[in-house]
Amino acid sequence: MQELKARERGAAASTAPRPSLLRRTGRALAPLPWLAPSLALIAIVVLWPVIEMVRTSLQKISSSGVTLGYRGGGNYTDLFGEDDLVPVVLRTLLWVAGVVVITMVLSLALGQLLNARFPGRRVVRWAVIVPWAASVLMTALIWKWMLDNYSGLVNRVLLDLHVIDEPVNWLAHPGQAMLWMMWVAVFVSLPFTSFVILAGLQTIPADVYEAARVDGAGHLRTYLAITLPLLRPAILIASIINVINVFNSFPIIWAMTGGGPGSKTDTTTTFMYKLAFYDQNVGESGAMAVVNFALILVMVLLYLRAARWREEVR
Amino acid sequence: MKRHLMGVVAAGLTVALGVSGCGKGSSSGGDSDGKTIKFVAAIYDDNTKPYWDALIKDFEAKNSGYKVNLEMVDWTQMDAKVKTYVQTKQVPDVLNYNAFSDFARDGLIYKADEVLSPGTLGDFTPTFVQQAQYNGAQYGLPFISSARLLFYNKALFKKAGISDPPATWDEVRADAEKIKKAGATGYGLPLGPEESQAEFYSWAMNNGGGWVDASGKWAINQKANVDTLAFLKDLNKSGLTQPNPETTDRKTVFNQFAQGKIGMAIGGPFTKAGFIDPVNKDLDFGVAPLPSKGGTEHNTLGVMDVLAAFKKDGGKNKEAVKKFLDFFYQKENTSKFLKTEGFLPVTKSAGDALSADPYMKQFVDALPTSKFAPTSNPAWSAVAGAVKQDLGTAAANEDPKKVLDKIQETAEKAG
Repeated sequence: MQELKARERGAAASTAPRPSLLRRTGRALAPLPWLAPSLALIAIVVLWPVIEMVRTSLQKISSSGVTLGYRGGGNYTDLFGEDDLVPVVLRTLLWVAGVVVITMVLSLALGQLLNARFPGRRVVRWAVIVPWAASVLMTALIWKWMLDNYSGLVNRVLLDLHVIDEPVNWLAHPGQAMLWMMWVAVFVSLPFTSFVILAGLQTIPADVYEAARVDGAGHLRTYLAITLPLLRPAILIASIINVINVFNSFPIIWAMTGGGPGSKTDTTTTFMYKLAFYDQNVGESGAMAVVNFALILVMVLLYLRAARWREEVR
Repeated sequence: MKRHLMGVVAAGLTVALGVSGCGKGSSSGGDSDGKTIKFVAAIYDDNTKPYWDALIKDFEAKNSGYKVNLEMVDWTQMDAKVKTYVQTKQVPDVLNYNAFSDFARDGLIYKADEVLSPGTLGDFTPTFVQQAQYNGAQYGLPFISSARLLFYNKALFKKAGISDPPATWDEVRADAEKIKKAGATGYGLPLGPEESQAEFYSWAMNNGGGWVDASGKWAINQKANVDTLAFLKDLNKSGLTQPNPETTDRKTVFNQFAQGKIGMAIGGPFTKAGFIDPVNKDLDFGVAPLPSKGGTEHNTLGVMDVLAAFKKDGGKNKEAVKKFLDFFYQKENTSKFLKTEGFLPVTKSAGDALSADPYMKQFVDALPTSKFAPTSNPAWSAVAGAVKQDLGTAAANEDPKKVLDKIQETAEKAG
């Protein structure tokens, strides 16, 4: 009975005379002055460069930089015809997965440590931030010098410890070079990630743990059943930002190996640079940029799907 | 009232963002009078900027009303910068660079006779004028040149029991083995991405190879080049070079050379002041012609950098550019630059000034036999880029023929 009445009332409301079109659009546009700055900001900072990037990828650009008109999909055909493309993309995926997984695992441990109460905690927290404050390029260069064949610290130490018999040219061998660069990438990603985890840990209320203790849960059980699930938003954010960051990471690879020898340590980002400035082909480089952008979007969406993002947001 | 204000602020912010974001097309004011020009100069070393500062001050004092705005760009940034200038239509009036032919093809720069007086034009050494042409007309303005010769460590040679620098490839190999036995690296081979095209060409041209065939078509995978690369690969694989030539740059090679750890390496006139002296001023080294396969003919690699004058505002800048260039090409001004930087002259008048120095004289004397990379072909930059990336891998693990085939393909694609 009650329900019926409500329905009647609803029907009555919808048949009431509509406000004039002008007033309705007026009302719809009323929030615009407040939204406009952020909309403009998004348009200029986010949308415009993306459009410009796609436009570049469809243009014919001469080696001197003059735009010679549209070229359709020609740049993409050229790009997909490159022998190096498939290895570069696979290497990029490996690079991203490796760096992000190791960073996340180490950060979970580091975050836990920073969250614990111990004397000197403040100093340790500061110490963890330091590599973040240093420029990535400098960190990469310092590691490049430490790995130097003739005067590098790493070879010196390993020689003195009799681990190796003669100096190793670490960065000249693609496999070893990739591992060292991944180490540097992990090293520079750690501070940010562990602080996100730390922030996540601090949002978990103490009484949850108290309840777990009362129920007799052990340390491991508590961690798996309480800490990890409650950390999920923090882990999600940290890993997405890391995926994007590591995917687009240029300075580490450029400073340490320049993608060489040949293109054996190139990722999509350095490959893109080489297309533009070594092969003098800005258009094809633009196509690579679009492919790179699409790859990141797909990866992030897949990850969000796997992590069931919607539930988190609600 | 407050709401009103917010709206105004929001609108203002939007406009401000729009303007700052989209303002790239407008030319910045100040240079529309045709008397102020922008000069982008490359940084060769620490002495470059003081030289230009002094020159411009002198120029402005002698030509009242004219002004030159100087911008210094590092060589590693140069390519990216130049592309940005062109794409955003903010080209400098005068650019100091190592390529000009694609600007000429795209109609961006003046012909040489439009911006130089006949006197200056006639002073260029003919070899360089030939290098500065595109489609039969001179566009590039030769700026500096350089030649490559073989540097060898006299003390190491003595220790290894070698009396003369090698003239043939067999002698290079034999000498490198002797030096290796004496406890040093025989030959320093920089085939890393820095300048492998110069190192490779220095060897290939002395085996009858090169970048193009007699008709000017790309011939990068010709047999003489494959053989040259195979020879260099063999040197590396036999342990006669430093490890990993594919990732080594000249700086590393000459650092080791200066420390007496490398017997031979190819260098230019700038090598002494730029690479050897800072490490070891007392190094006892000699300079000899580049070794050739048979030992009869010794070609030298020549390198030339250029100035290019861009068309702007419908030719308004022509007069000021001409004044500035003629000023720079005066004998005392050019030879001062060459002396500061350790390069070779491109003009006849500055030539004699350098021959007094016995070290420099060897390079000046080598210039007539020098061969140049095909810089007048607009595709050369793309070819050089491909060579820098990939050529070195053939000295390590890749098949020389395959690597050269790939570069040939790039060359043909680029035009």
